[in-house]
Amino acid sequence: MEIEFAAAEGWLHNVWLLIAVPLVSAAILLLLGKRADKWGHWLGAGSVGVTFVLALTFFFQLRGMDEREGVELSLFEYLPVAGLKVDFGLLYDPLAAIFTLLITGVGFLIHVYAVGYMSHDPGRRRFFGFFNLFVAAMLLLVLGNNFVMLYIGWEGVGLASYLLISFYFDRPAAATAGKKAFLINRVGDAGFAIAIFLMFATLGTTQYDEVFNGVGQLTGATVTAMGLLLLLGACGKSGQFPLHTWLPDAMEGPTPVSALIHAATMVTAGVYLIARSHPVFDASETAQAVVVTIGAITLLIGCIIGCAKDDIKRVLAYSTVSQIGYMFLAVGLGGAAYALGLIHLLAHGFFKAGLFLGAGSVMHGMQDQTDIRRFGGLAKHMRITWITFLLGYLAIIGLPPLSGFFSKDPIIHSAFERHGWSGWVLGSVALIGAGLTAFYMTRLYVLTFHGKPRWTEGQHPHESPPVMTIPLILLAVGSVAAGGLMATSVPGWLEPVLGEHEEHHARLSEWTVTAMTMAVVILGAGLGFALFRRGTALQEQPAGPLVTAARRNLYFDTLNEVVFELPGKLLTRALVFLDNRGIDGVVNGLAATVGGGSGRLRRAQTGFVRSYALSILGGAVLVVAAMMAVTLS
Amino acid sequence: MTTDIAAETLKLPSLDYAALAPMLILFGVGCVGVLVEAIAPKKARFPVQLVLAVLGIAASLTAIVLAAGTEKVTAAGAVAVDGPGLFLQGSIAVLGLVALLLISERSLERGGAFVAQAAVTANSEADRDQATRGSGATEVYPLIIFSLGGMMLFAAANDLLTMFVALEVFSLPLYLLCAMARRRRLLSQEAALKYFLLGAFASAFFLFGIALVYGYAGRVDFAGIHAAVLDSPNDIALLYIGLAMVAIGLLFKAALAPFHVWTPDVYQGAPTPVTALMAACTKVAAFGGLLRVLYVAFERSQWDYRPVLGAIAVLTMLVGAVLAVTQTDIKRLLAYSSIANAGYVLVGVLAISKAGLASSLFYLVAYGFSVLAAFGIVTLVRDADGEATHLSRWAGLGRRSPLYATLFTFLLLAFAGIPLTSGFTAKFGVFAAAIEADQTWLVIAGVITSAIIAFPYLRVVVMMWLSEPGESTPAVSLPGALTAAAVTIGAAATLLLGIVPQPLLDMTENAAHFVR
Amino acid sequence: MNGLVTLAAAAGEVKGGEAATFYLLAPIAVICAIGMVWARNAVHSALFLVVTMLCLGVFYVLQAGPFIGMVQIIVYTGAIMMLFLFVLMLVGRDASDSLIETLRGQRMTAVLLGLGFAGLVATGLYRALGNLDSVGLTQANSVHGGNVPGIAALLFTKYVFAFEVTSALLITAAVGAMILAHIEKRPDQKIAQPERMRARFAPDNYPGPKPGPGVFANSTSVATPAVLPDGTQSERSMSKILPQRELTAAEAAPKGTEHQ
Repeated sequence: MEIEFAAAEGWLHNVWLLIAVPLVSAAILLLLGKRADKWGHWLGAGSVGVTFVLALTFFFQLRGMDEREGVELSLFEYLPVAGLKVDFGLLYDPLAAIFTLLITGVGFLIHVYAVGYMSHDPGRRRFFGFFNLFVAAMLLLVLGNNFVMLYIGWEGVGLASYLLISFYFDRPAAATAGKKAFLINRVGDAGFAIAIFLMFATLGTTQYDEVFNGVGQLTGATVTAMGLLLLLGACGKSGQFPLHTWLPDAMEGPTPVSALIHAATMVTAGVYLIARSHPVFDASETAQAVVVTIGAITLLIGCIIGCAKDDIKRVLAYSTVSQIGYMFLAVGLGGAAYALGLIHLLAHGFFKAGLFLGAGSVMHGMQDQTDIRRFGGLAKHMRITWITFLLGYLAIIGLPPLSGFFSKDPIIHSAFERHGWSGWVLGSVALIGAGLTAFYMTRLYVLTFHGKPRWTEGQHPHESPPVMTIPLILLAVGSVAAGGLMATSVPGWLEPVLGEHEEHHARLSEWTVTAMTMAVVILGAGLGFALFRRGTALQEQPAGPLVTAARRNLYFDTLNEVVFELPGKLLTRALVFLDNRGIDGVVNGLAATVGGGSGRLRRAQTGFVRSYALSILGGAVLVVAAMMAVTLS
Repeated sequence: MTTDIAAETLKLPSLDYAALAPMLILFGVGCVGVLVEAIAPKKARFPVQLVLAVLGIAASLTAIVLAAGTEKVTAAGAVAVDGPGLFLQGSIAVLGLVALLLISERSLERGGAFVAQAAVTANSEADRDQATRGSGATEVYPLIIFSLGGMMLFAAANDLLTMFVALEVFSLPLYLLCAMARRRRLLSQEAALKYFLLGAFASAFFLFGIALVYGYAGRVDFAGIHAAVLDSPNDIALLYIGLAMVAIGLLFKAALAPFHVWTPDVYQGAPTPVTALMAACTKVAAFGGLLRVLYVAFERSQWDYRPVLGAIAVLTMLVGAVLAVTQTDIKRLLAYSSIANAGYVLVGVLAISKAGLASSLFYLVAYGFSVLAAFGIVTLVRDADGEATHLSRWAGLGRRSPLYATLFTFLLLAFAGIPLTSGFTAKFGVFAAAIEADQTWLVIAGVITSAIIAFPYLRVVVMMWLSEPGESTPAVSLPGALTAAAVTIGAAATLLLGIVPQPLLDMTENAAHFVR
Repeated sequence: MNGLVTLAAAAGEVKGGEAATFYLLAPIAVICAIGMVWARNAVHSALFLVVTMLCLGVFYVLQAGPFIGMVQIIVYTGAIMMLFLFVLMLVGRDASDSLIETLRGQRMTAVLLGLGFAGLVATGLYRALGNLDSVGLTQANSVHGGNVPGIAALLFTKYVFAFEVTSALLITAAVGAMILAHIEKRPDQKIAQPERMRARFAPDNYPGPKPGPGVFANSTSVATPAVLPDGTQSERSMSKILPQRELTAAEAAPKGTEHQ
């Protein structure tokens, strides 16, 4: 299949505005300094709103076209070194279009929300500057027409995310989290960069069309290497095993950041990368197998650790890790499942953003408390937050007809359909994941909004102002409706990009899978509800008149603990331990090695000229000896 | 036969004055500058010297442009005029001109960055007296002009002896300039002494190497050595030991590990404008010499020296990147950064191909502009005691002066090789050339060290933007027109070469052919 | 044809007087070179270096390179080393200069690396030159009619550009010496001759030369202040850097020079 893009014409010629508007706004906010403090946040939110409107017009323009393969807009030639060249250009195709809508649409709502959320923060203008910078970089990432542009955007969102995570730089935890995110992302980025170099080396280009058309000429090993390197990059950015540890720590940033960057958009860039380079992955069986394996492992790890966390944002963060695992699983399966992964990505963008913003609203009303053991009974006090959170929660566990049902079930189904025994394994993993998701999300929801209040003293929970609740409502509407709408329209819309695929389900019928999933979900949710209806065992409760009932409950708890929880807990502990000591340790260890090595080497720089002369002499001996060795060999 | 008969037979070799003009002009202007010191009244010296120096460099640049396209060996084979030579000379002239702007700045500090009388004992009564009122020594101008002339000759020298003389001609003024800081004079003098002693040590290796190469080839001109590599009857060990020692001298000047040890101390101690000159122009000249030696004289030995120099490149990148992590002084940080960057240039050099040559030339120019602008900003961040170079003092600079913090951030990103800066284009070029030449291991090391060295850069960025300005955060002085011009030129070039590098890439591509 | 050629002819094969001279001077040169590094006193070091350079000069002459030999002796031994000695003596460093090495392992490493480097180069040179027949300068010297004309020819033809550029080096060196050593006095710091005279004959100033140490004292030691005619000791007679010390009994004992 030859891929070719038409040149942009008419209104689509102005696609570059999408990037320029938020970029200019960011520049104004960051350069004007204090002068922009009064109105800066409205400029920041407004610019994204304008971008969203622009994105809509472009979207309808593209929809009206007959040939929807996508249009290219060449800006200028960049870097023609020794026969290699990169055209600095934009590509607006159906895939880019839906990402653009997601980024600007959800981004706009979160910007509006942040106006309220950050209202007491002295650094609000700076925050919006970074936020706009992020939007611009993210749009560059999805709109570029070659891998180098993608990389530029990739680094740009990384920078913005790094700046935003350490936004509260006076908190050591935030600064550390920022550094950690940065370091781990460099590992992934290095992989991505090498992949790009590999493209240059083998194909001499990084333009999407030329690379994809050229994949056929490459050897299998090269394509696999390229795919795996791209995957490494994707894993770093999307918080996938084994590079997932930075994502939960990144929750140290302000909540709107968690919602936009670490739930809805940036972390899904890895999925975008894989979907965008699908011809590479289609051409390598091995690379696809690794993608699904990583997706499956991650979704399981995310669920299990999510069950053990008590911090509302961290539970949501692990949930994000796990949901992106689903998306990786889907895009790794290939074929028709690409579209499923992207649908889940979009749906997840809505409900997870909604959940995060809901969590932010709860924190806003509870004086920045994040411990779910200290919540409880909030449903009465923050009605809107409660309802919207409930809808998001129902969406994520996949209750029909909310969006999670339409996006997750088909993924589980597709996983079962993978050829050979791996289909059974992957399907089961995805199924168990659905149950666990239902369990921990129920726990989170119940502990936060129901049961008796377990607040610390002096809490007066209150509903957030309309500027925060309106985005919540809109996102909740999205969580409810988006899944059904997209499940029917998106696969057809993306066909020009991903190609046509026949669905053939041999093993299990759709209804069987749905029934199984529903059973598991209800089991998980019911278990969670039963266990945490009355609060949590970690919270001391005064002995009421119904002591016997409580005791029986306790007995039930213990039984549960022995039968269900203990193995899970042990596994969770082991995983958390592995997470902290093993993977974290390796990353931190690397950083410490560089720092330590630097400190030790630094001591060699004594400042004495005779010691310098000695090291020069040492170098001279080595160089002469090496040259002699060359001679004698 | 007697001596007078011989004298009759001596004929001056043909000197192509047009091709030699760039250097001759500078040497001439340098001599005039010395005379100005002797004749002109004290008050008039600064403007006269400044105008003279600027005109001299401009005239030299004009001569270079006029000579463009020439390909010949002149002065009895001592000087090669060819694409790379003229390109390097042009780069030295342009970068030197920008550095001269920094050097001539006198509004940041009364009397400029240079001490009035370097002979006055540091920290004595007289010294404190002259620090407050003396205007800086104007001898720096002829010294800089001589140094630039020497660098141009170094990049064009076509035999090892001329190269050695050029090496000394451009080094000696630098040793002197290092000792002439107005503030922290003891540190400055220490730096100069270290540079001088170690420079002499390295020169000794270079000279010894010349002797050994002569022992092998019987000649010291590059074409002769090139021919002798194939057909000399002598033992090849002579050639290799000689090459190793010649290389040591060159590696020292280019600040490659393990011959880099002087760099941080000297960069830190020298007056910042001189540091800028060294980081930009000396690097161009040193790599110019290295390129010519490796590409013209020893091209046929490339399979033998490549692994050795490759190991040095890897070591250099590692040392520069790893040591930059723990630096606490901005000048030292930039010094280690320049070491690491020298490693990247060497990666390009070791491609031993046209692409390698072109990409190294591009890298040198791109880095030169960025580093000039970076040191230019360092001269602006100051308090009552002069420049505030400790990193902790830079905390919160973004609040105090967003413009300069933004510029500096941009330059650091360029050093880190972020796309849309010249740093990316340049790194990309050298890595691409190295991969083409099957030197993938160098590129892998380059990518890894790039990742490491991005950390200290970003630490500075984070410190400038995300820390609250403390009591000790110094103000940024309003730059005089000269520094402003230098910083603007440097930053603009960094941006332009990142976005539209094509014209310069074409230029390097066209220039990348050595004459033998 | 003159003595030069005679010398040149000897270069073909090492024998007779040449061999004797070489084997006599070579050990001296090496020993003095080692002595230069080893000596604790800077003046001794310089003198050792002088001997080594003299030996080298003789070797050059022996090798039919009279010009370089003479230049070696005149310029290096005669001018540079003597200047060096003058400076050393003016600065007045004495043997008490601290030679304690403070860097751990510095000396040992330096010795090892130095030996290693020497070993490497020597091995290489031995391999390369072990069985090489020396040709001598006969042929080279005959092209331009002698050693000196030959060098002149090279300097003014092949290396004329490098030779001319050396002038930049020399100018730089001179300017550098001025910068680092010369202090220009401001006009208000300059003292005119009349002021100087007035100050000299001002009250409370002794216009004559200061008495030397030991004058009229009961010891001739430089550490003994002079005794003025009125019997008081003059502090001015002693150099400020010398510590004034108590005389021992033997030194203070009458030496038969006092006024009876």
